[in-house]
Amino acid sequence: MQVSLSWLSTHLDLSSYSVAQLSDLLTFAGVEVEGIVERGVTTDKVVVAQIDSFVQHPNADKLSVCQVNDGSGTPRQIVCGAKNFKAGDKVPLALPGAVLPGGFTIKEGKLRDVASLGMMCSGKELGLGDDHAGLLILSPDSPIGTPFNQLNPADVLFDLEITPNRPDLLSHLGLARELSALTGIPLKGQRDYTKTSTPTKLETSNLKLETPSACPLYTARLIKGVKVGPSPEWLRRRLESIGLRPINSIVDITNFVMMEMGQSLHCFDLDKLNGSIVVRNASEGEQMLALDGQTYTLQADDLVIADQKRAVAIAGVMGGEETGVTEATTSILLEAAYFTPSNIRRTSRRLGLSSDSSYRFERGIDPQQVAGGSELATKLILEIAGGTADDVLLVAGETPVLTSEITLDDDRARKLLGTPDLSSDEIRSILTKLGLTHQNGRWTVPSYRADLQRPVDLIEEIARVIGLDRVPSKMTAVAVPSDATDRAYDFAMTIRQALVNRGCFEAQTLRLIADAQLPDTLGGGTGVAVKNPLSEDHTTLRPSIIPGLIATAALNIRQGTDRLRFFELGRVFLKLPNGNSREEERLAILISGPVSPSSWHARTPQAADIHELMGIITNLPGLSRVSIEPKAVKESPANFLLTSELRAGNRNLGWIAQLHPSRARDISARHPVYVAELLLSALRQGSTGPAKFEELPRFPGMTRDVAMEVPADLPHAKVAAFFASQKEPLFIASEVFDVFTDPTGQKIAKDRKSIAWTLTYRSPEKTLETAEVDAAHTSILSALEKSLPATVRR
Amino acid sequence: MLAQLDSLKTEALAALAAAQDESTLEAVRVNFLGKKGSVTALSQNMREVPADQKKDVGAKLNDVRTAITDGIESKKLALQAALDAKAVEGIDITLPGRPGTGNGALHPLTQIRDLAIRTLRRLGFILAEGPEIETEFHCFDALNTPADHPARNEKDTFYLPDGRLLRTHTSSVQIRTMEAAKSLPIRIIAPGAAYRRDEIDATHLSVFNQLEGLYVSNDVSLADLKGTLEAFFREIFGPNTAVRFRPHFFPFTEPSFEIDVKLEAKGKDARWIEIAGCGMVDPAVFTAVNQSRGDNLFDPETTTGFAFGLGLDRLAMILHSITDIRHLIENDVRFLQQFAA
Repeated sequence: MQVSLSWLSTHLDLSSYSVAQLSDLLTFAGVEVEGIVERGVTTDKVVVAQIDSFVQHPNADKLSVCQVNDGSGTPRQIVCGAKNFKAGDKVPLALPGAVLPGGFTIKEGKLRDVASLGMMCSGKELGLGDDHAGLLILSPDSPIGTPFNQLNPADVLFDLEITPNRPDLLSHLGLARELSALTGIPLKGQRDYTKTSTPTKLETSNLKLETPSACPLYTARLIKGVKVGPSPEWLRRRLESIGLRPINSIVDITNFVMMEMGQSLHCFDLDKLNGSIVVRNASEGEQMLALDGQTYTLQADDLVIADQKRAVAIAGVMGGEETGVTEATTSILLEAAYFTPSNIRRTSRRLGLSSDSSYRFERGIDPQQVAGGSELATKLILEIAGGTADDVLLVAGETPVLTSEITLDDDRARKLLGTPDLSSDEIRSILTKLGLTHQNGRWTVPSYRADLQRPVDLIEEIARVIGLDRVPSKMTAVAVPSDATDRAYDFAMTIRQALVNRGCFEAQTLRLIADAQLPDTLGGGTGVAVKNPLSEDHTTLRPSIIPGLIATAALNIRQGTDRLRFFELGRVFLKLPNGNSREEERLAILISGPVSPSSWHARTPQAADIHELMGIITNLPGLSRVSIEPKAVKESPANFLLTSELRAGNRNLGWIAQLHPSRARDISARHPVYVAELLLSALRQGSTGPAKFEELPRFPGMTRDVAMEVPADLPHAKVAAFFASQKEPLFIASEVFDVFTDPTGQKIAKDRKSIAWTLTYRSPEKTLETAEVDAAHTSILSALEKSLPATVRR
Repeated sequence: MLAQLDSLKTEALAALAAAQDESTLEAVRVNFLGKKGSVTALSQNMREVPADQKKDVGAKLNDVRTAITDGIESKKLALQAALDAKAVEGIDITLPGRPGTGNGALHPLTQIRDLAIRTLRRLGFILAEGPEIETEFHCFDALNTPADHPARNEKDTFYLPDGRLLRTHTSSVQIRTMEAAKSLPIRIIAPGAAYRRDEIDATHLSVFNQLEGLYVSNDVSLADLKGTLEAFFREIFGPNTAVRFRPHFFPFTEPSFEIDVKLEAKGKDARWIEIAGCGMVDPAVFTAVNQSRGDNLFDPETTTGFAFGLGLDRLAMILHSITDIRHLIENDVRFLQQFAA
């Protein structure tokens, strides 16, 4: 909200505060100052001058040479570039020596050889708005020679963010009241507008309230014989100072009252109303042309002001075009009402129609000021637009009471604030300054502070006023036992660090992905679609991290990166058959390109293959004592080859695959791309509990190598499984150390491969004799040839 | 004899000096000290030496033996030293090291989050979490947010067709934690993703990262909140960082504050930067939790607590002077590399 310091100053004398001090004061009262603009000039050397005559500059097409009257009695010659004036216009004139906003000093000088003794100013040059179209033309009744700042005092504009719990601050009076409470500076002048002017008879009448819950109080005053025209200078200036455009005297007065005291009003052209006013719910589908020129279609829970024929205003939000006040209006019906916030909020939101009026009603206005708002507006209308006001204020409904008495336990306040030294006297003084009254141990809240309902609301007020500087800093040490979430976090950090040490970069991609990315999902599963996505790029909560990593790969390839080593730990979202969803933490890895960064050791290291990725996985924390068996999935998803489930016993650890070359070409990958996605909880299962120590062998072991020829498609896992199943007590370990194939078929048939293993033998009781090892080895080899299609080379 | 020994010694030492490898040294040893070596041969003539000379000759013999043995030993060491020196000849230690697989880097958000978590754990907080797909109850109702609050509409919040939503803040974890609690105190932090329906630009993401904190017990005061959060931000930004609390409004805390820290920007005066929101848990939140639990563990008359929340993306941007938030989700390796340890 824009707030004018000069407007505020009509309510209290703030001259002892600098702008910076006021800004701090507001900030620490909970009103955020989002901007400060100083407007107008403080110097006396800008005066009202009248342009007596002007001629074309002899040496410049775009300049005029003007003779102006500055009130000194001596005509003054000014060279001017503006075109928007005529002889007789009054304009602000900066005399030599004047300092304009921005520090620009006016001097006597010559423009293209013609003397110019000052400068006539635009609004912008005086710090008044952005309009740079030409000179600021002043009202014809501006007295010549008067310092401009007397007519248009310098002002400071605060752009304030008022939190939704403080609608009482959405007016100059409201802010002045708050500043008065905070500074102790008394408010001056009128505070309660209910006791303003014309004699008022409150009378229930032919006004009809059909929905008292949505509109508990409605008042109308009839004013006849008005003459609608432009507002006087002071009113226009007030509105313009806070960024409102003057329209006509009646509209301007209602806007002024709203910004002055927070009561939003509406004026109808009485002659265009058909009979008496009804406040009712709209009929379903009812349409209304509003003042913004749009036609709105209403629903049954929208509140409207209607005459006997139709809706004439969307209550609290916007008036109707057909019954609005125009220059031709002579009789008006002035509405002042209290509308229930939730109704206004719902309608405003649904229609996407927000106004200064709805903004205030949906936060809640002061119900006690409804009649006061009407009174102030009536007084101003009579002063400015003339006419005669009915001395009857038509009233329907009752002033709602939104506040109640509150009992505050001062000890509780001290305890919650952590300020044992805060005295009850001080508490009383703070709350009293804020307009509350204390009687019989209870606090009565002023009608404009409906946000104060509970003891804790009062404690908040105390905290706000004393500020956190008054509160000591305390540290409480509490021992709280850690739980599974803590252990999961620590495990995830270990995984991350291991991958970083292995040369991988951690990515964090958006969890909302595009439908088009879903085929990049590894591990199956459907994501969870959002009902109201913002764009087609972010429609679905990801069922897999791989789509994000592929997009990351694509971006980095576009940037010219050849070597891709990425991983991400994060949540995926799986839609369950029953309509529910499951959230699960996963780890995804993507690798492509050289195994190491290029260096003088190896200019072009070999490119990654799936075995590198498998190696990264088997070295992950949690898997050091786990044997992983990849199991090809029956149908590899279209975007992948070699897709395999990674199993540890009957536990699924995740999936590994090569990105399909056609998909890799889509993202212009220069090397094959490999991906894996693992379930973090499954990895963690392998790392539970402290490791158990096993006695170190006391006797040396002996090894025997075996080379064999097997069918090319015999998986390594089959051979490994054979060795693992051997019961020979001396045989304790086996390891593959060579795999050889020859695609040309010269050294070994194309459909065969040669593999070589080292077998280790050891006894826990003694150093083995060669003959004992040979016997054990022979029995293993003969079992090998019986169990597998293998020919051992002897 | 003495003269013979002297000349043998000279001869042997010359041979040693000339020796260039270990086998030559061995030959020298055999030639002079071996069974048939010349010094050995002379020593066998000892008995023929007159008695009065025996002492001198014996001493001389020992001296020659020792000189040759020591000479061989030291020459051996010298030769080995020369070999060792030769082995490292030509090595240019100024060349870059072998990279192995190289090092990657943790994402800056992970690093910031971990810094915050480590700091808060030292202050006695444990971790908590909750679902990102939430109910309106956990995200709004229980957090004292009115049914028609602007944050709840479909313009600002992502909904699922079944009426659930993507949590707009990690504050929903407060409710989840209190619902599941068996006893007080509760002292948790919950890092996590949150969602708002914002167009992605230089300062906004539709999915962002927050860190929530909650401490609930029977005697938690504003002083605890102030002390804890001052300590936290001074750990993050440095021990002399100025921290201030501005009154603000959040539906689920009362009183509520925004926290600013005063930070220097390059070439500019230190400025107050908004960094977090916090406040004392509103009693209405305890009431809602009790209703959901069906007991009165969080008696609003006696239970008090503080809560806080901060944006980790924003924190990362401030600490690292990152000007465009989109860097955090693009994962350009040239960006990530800058945050390597």
